[in-house]
Amino acid sequence: MKNDRGIWRIVVLTLFLMFMIVPFLATVLFSISVRWDRTLWPEGLTLEWWDKVTSRSAFETTLTNSFIVSFATMFALALLVTPTAYWAHMRVPRGKPFIEFLTIIPFGIPGVVLALALIRFYSQVPLPLINTPSILVAACMVIALPFMYRPVANALDAIDIHGLTEAAQSLGAGLGQTLLRVIVPNIMPGIISGCLLVFSTVFAEFTLANLLVGTRFKTFPIYLVEFTRFDGRQASALAVISFVIAWLTSLLIIWIAGRGGRPAESLGAR
Amino acid sequence: MTNRVRSRKSIKGLWAWLGLVPFFLFGIAFEIIPVLTLARSSLTARDTFTLQNFERALTPIFIESFRNSIQLSAATAFLGVVFGTLVAYAIITTRSVWVRNALTALADVTTNFGGAPLAFAFIVVLGSTGIVTLILKMIGITLYPDLFRIYSIQGLAVAYLYFQLPLMILLIIPSLLGLRREWREAAINLGASAAQYWLRVALPILLPSLLGGFLLLFANSFGAYATAWTLTGPDVNLVTVQIAALVRGEVQLDPALADALAMLSLAIMTLCIAGYQWLGGRARKEGR
Repeated sequence: MKNDRGIWRIVVLTLFLMFMIVPFLATVLFSISVRWDRTLWPEGLTLEWWDKVTSRSAFETTLTNSFIVSFATMFALALLVTPTAYWAHMRVPRGKPFIEFLTIIPFGIPGVVLALALIRFYSQVPLPLINTPSILVAACMVIALPFMYRPVANALDAIDIHGLTEAAQSLGAGLGQTLLRVIVPNIMPGIISGCLLVFSTVFAEFTLANLLVGTRFKTFPIYLVEFTRFDGRQASALAVISFVIAWLTSLLIIWIAGRGGRPAESLGAR
Repeated sequence: MTNRVRSRKSIKGLWAWLGLVPFFLFGIAFEIIPVLTLARSSLTARDTFTLQNFERALTPIFIESFRNSIQLSAATAFLGVVFGTLVAYAIITTRSVWVRNALTALADVTTNFGGAPLAFAFIVVLGSTGIVTLILKMIGITLYPDLFRIYSIQGLAVAYLYFQLPLMILLIIPSLLGLRREWREAAINLGASAAQYWLRVALPILLPSLLGGFLLLFANSFGAYATAWTLTGPDVNLVTVQIAALVRGEVQLDPALADALAMLSLAIMTLCIAGYQWLGGRARKEGR
């Protein structure tokens, strides 16, 4: 009886592990294969596809563009969310439900609908936003908002912000100093988790980039999709890079969460 | 006296709200107003209120896109809930702490992963010359072209499970950990079989979490676009694929039609997320 149950568990977990790992390993192997579509094992190994795809100028441009959008979104969200969350926890607790409402909305808006809504509104108003990387950053801020707010709010819940603020102010610290020198260092694990979640979400974002700026400001995922139609082996190298960036970022988040701060809540935003 | 103090305090409280203005401005400018613009234009034609945009959205091709999207989402959400709960249970009952942590970390890492790289990885594995396809052929199962194609809605379902399964695992683990050992022992002592315990005791307790998980997974799949676009292009008729096509090309020709489709899918998504929030609140209350 006991043995049977053990075997059941091993089978389930092995199948799960294979389902999650094999696609990644196969893509890695495919990217270094001379040819792998007729035989069970690749017909020879090569770095030719990696060489080819990384030596194109578009490779560097799109990678840089993706880093620009990801970092811009990350910093803008950290600057917007951290003071707001602190202020709401400290002085306006009744504002929290409104803030939380705005951070739940993004889960209910599909990327294509958000892109459409932004285009429809911002093409009517005289603001130079439409078709620019700025609107892409704004849209990415919307979809990544919950990923920034949740860890920061959790971190604020976990410390005694009233006590810390009073102590800082009785020692003569102003509001800015209190936030920067006292609160922020105490909630750093939350802020960093939030930033990393934002980074990995935005770096992989295809829908918004494709519909809002398209070829005017090509990001890495757009470059990858173009290659899947035109050269699978070079696309596989790009896919491996995306996998590695996403997985490393997540592992970093888990590592930070394990070292202190609470685990970052993550919800899929596909 | 007290009145004056109170009014001074409430004025101070009002001033404090000013600190939240930048955040609210952002939310209003990039969430609320754009969505309201969509809603308004979906309900107007030649500056008058009308439902005719929605009538035009209910042509066979768009009805089919909603049917496909709903079927795909329901199927992957259902499979995600069933297998996710099974794997989650296997994970939490594993003795080795190391294995438990590693598998939870794997779910954490993979649940936010999707889009083009995922689609491409599944082409490598299950495409017409993919490695699993070749292995299955060797043992006598020929997938292509009749049994299965990765570039179809069934193929999409397999790829979607790659992010649905880990999401369910992460959602359900806290609820499974909330099942107390004593409840099981009490049920067994009262003469219940293991099956009766699961059906009569554990399942009703888990039900809000399972339903909430289903709704969240449904929304997660319904709104997905990048994976579908990379894998099947315009071949599979999904709502998000239709809306994206209208945004890219024909939006100038018929903007109100895209708006109507977008509002319909927003309605479906809102129901799912609101239901998930409500059930989540219930599950948390019962867990206390």
